[in-house]
Amino acid sequence: MATTSDRIIRLQHVEVRVPDLELATAYYTEVLGLLETARDERDGAPRVFLKCWDEREHHSVILREAPTHGLDHMSFKLNEAADLDHFTAKLEAAGVPVKRFAARELGPGWGEAIRFDAPSGHLVELTHGTERIGNMLPKTNPPPRPQDLIGIAPPRLDHLFVMAEDVEAFTAFFTELLEFRLTEQILANDGHQLATFLEHSHTPHDIAVITGPNGALHHFAFWMDDWNGIREAADALAYHGVTIDVAPTRHGVTRGYTTYFFDPSGNRNELFTGGYWVDPDFEPITWTEEEMGRAIFYYHRQVNERFFTVHS
Amino acid sequence: MGILRLAHVDVRTPDLDLSAAYYTEVMGLQQVARTDDCVYLKCWDEEDHHSLRMRYNPRTGMDSFTFRVEEEDDLHEFEKKVEAYGCPTTRVSRGGAVGQGESIRFEVPSGQIMELVWDIEKTGNILGKHNPSPVPPPDLPGIAPPRMDHMLVNAEEVAESASFFIDVLGMRMTEQVLDGNGHQLGVWLAGNTRSPHDIAIVNGPNGALHHWAYWLDDWDHIRKAADTLAFNGVQIDQGPTRHGVTRGNTIYFFDPLGIRNEVFTGGYWVDPDTEILTWTEDNFGKGLFYYENVISQRFLRMHT
Repeated sequence: MATTSDRIIRLQHVEVRVPDLELATAYYTEVLGLLETARDERDGAPRVFLKCWDEREHHSVILREAPTHGLDHMSFKLNEAADLDHFTAKLEAAGVPVKRFAARELGPGWGEAIRFDAPSGHLVELTHGTERIGNMLPKTNPPPRPQDLIGIAPPRLDHLFVMAEDVEAFTAFFTELLEFRLTEQILANDGHQLATFLEHSHTPHDIAVITGPNGALHHFAFWMDDWNGIREAADALAYHGVTIDVAPTRHGVTRGYTTYFFDPSGNRNELFTGGYWVDPDFEPITWTEEEMGRAIFYYHRQVNERFFTVHS
Repeated sequence: MGILRLAHVDVRTPDLDLSAAYYTEVMGLQQVARTDDCVYLKCWDEEDHHSLRMRYNPRTGMDSFTFRVEEEDDLHEFEKKVEAYGCPTTRVSRGGAVGQGESIRFEVPSGQIMELVWDIEKTGNILGKHNPSPVPPPDLPGIAPPRMDHMLVNAEEVAESASFFIDVLGMRMTEQVLDGNGHQLGVWLAGNTRSPHDIAIVNGPNGALHHWAYWLDDWDHIRKAADTLAFNGVQIDQGPTRHGVTRGNTIYFFDPLGIRNEVFTGGYWVDPDTEILTWTEDNFGKGLFYYENVISQRFLRMHT
């Protein structure tokens, strides 16, 4: 018996562009505390594969050397291999061209995958069968966490936040074709969506989108277990001279605790905790334009200009 | 199709006023309805009508526990599967229970009455859907957890009970404790919540309730809850401490009539294909209470 009606389970990985691969790798492994699992070269560009300590699968962040920064693609984990066919049929019926890739074709540890473009121009991948290499704990009598972690060491990747010129078209694509559910939205005074928050994992968001240039990455976020972990992480970031965009604070939307900062290439990272449970029939929460400051940063009630304008 | 999450627990109390006072003032739940012999309670972030029903009865105990299914049509499918397994089911029609529509009820192999429901009256949380603040008003009394999280029942034959929840109800095992002969002493099972457990089953008398747990957002809230419990003279059973199983942070304590409650946070993310973790009998102490590494007889032997 299937134990879930969600065909998409969660965010599987993000591949991001970095102009200085070694500098970025040093940051992601030594400051953020991810683990390097593989290296390869694809289309002439060297890549580094990384994962968080509690993740069982081969990679959750891939760094690719490129002249610019930004998002190469996002990938979501599918529950079953048959879901690849389900979404291929659904996307093609809607006129969206889909490319299919065999397991390991796209890189080491890579699952079988399909790829297509969202209306915003973002390259989206759905994948099944990413190689499992285990977390850092045994399967018998495991301690609750490893003792030899370096850096901030978040247990896992959590969600992704991108920008789109037409938030409503992006949202319709993700809800109607990819079966995401809307949990929260920020509405302009004329009623159109400025930002939406979408989930498959019974959390407030697996992906969110805000008005901005097509194809842009706003940030990707790692999970922390609690607020105290966010505070300690901010200490570590400041110590290492990382540019902190938003010091530890609270969101209105998602209710999460957060801190934002930039990797050495200018890709924005977030550490996130909190939130709430959502049932599949959760009635979405609506924020109005005049409350947007409180929606995004609940304590300060205003959003710094950099948060809206800087992206990668 | 599948089991979504724990929806509510229905228990009996010989002193309805005392129980209601404890759950509203110390635990900090909201009383949503009261009849001659029942009190209905919920946590501030729950959108369902209630998550706890307390019914007057001279003897403390559990009437039933209820899980929400993923989709409306699932009730019919589960009815067929449970009947095919050999457990007779009863349909409760709309109007048969406060705060919910149609449901099915049956006795699980370990003797507890389980209910499945999809149609739950949604009364909303206390924040609403329009520019809601991320936190409830600061003057909520008591511990005020946002929601109920999971429960633990006892079974004489843990493996038989586990196979019912896994093979018939489609729940996933996340962790298990095995004795020296490879028999299951305890199993932890998830619905579709991506958390380490929505229900757990540990060796003990059939029909018994071990505890149900409320979620708190972090360890600091667990610590504050311990202060609140101690101030109010509540008997603490274990903690604040850490579980090996589930990795959670926890306190166990007893309500005024001796029903065990837990406040819980932490855990980890579970995919449908996450491998099962196994604890061996020689590590059972650490599995239960990671810091103390002792098997508390009160913890294993006392139940409702």
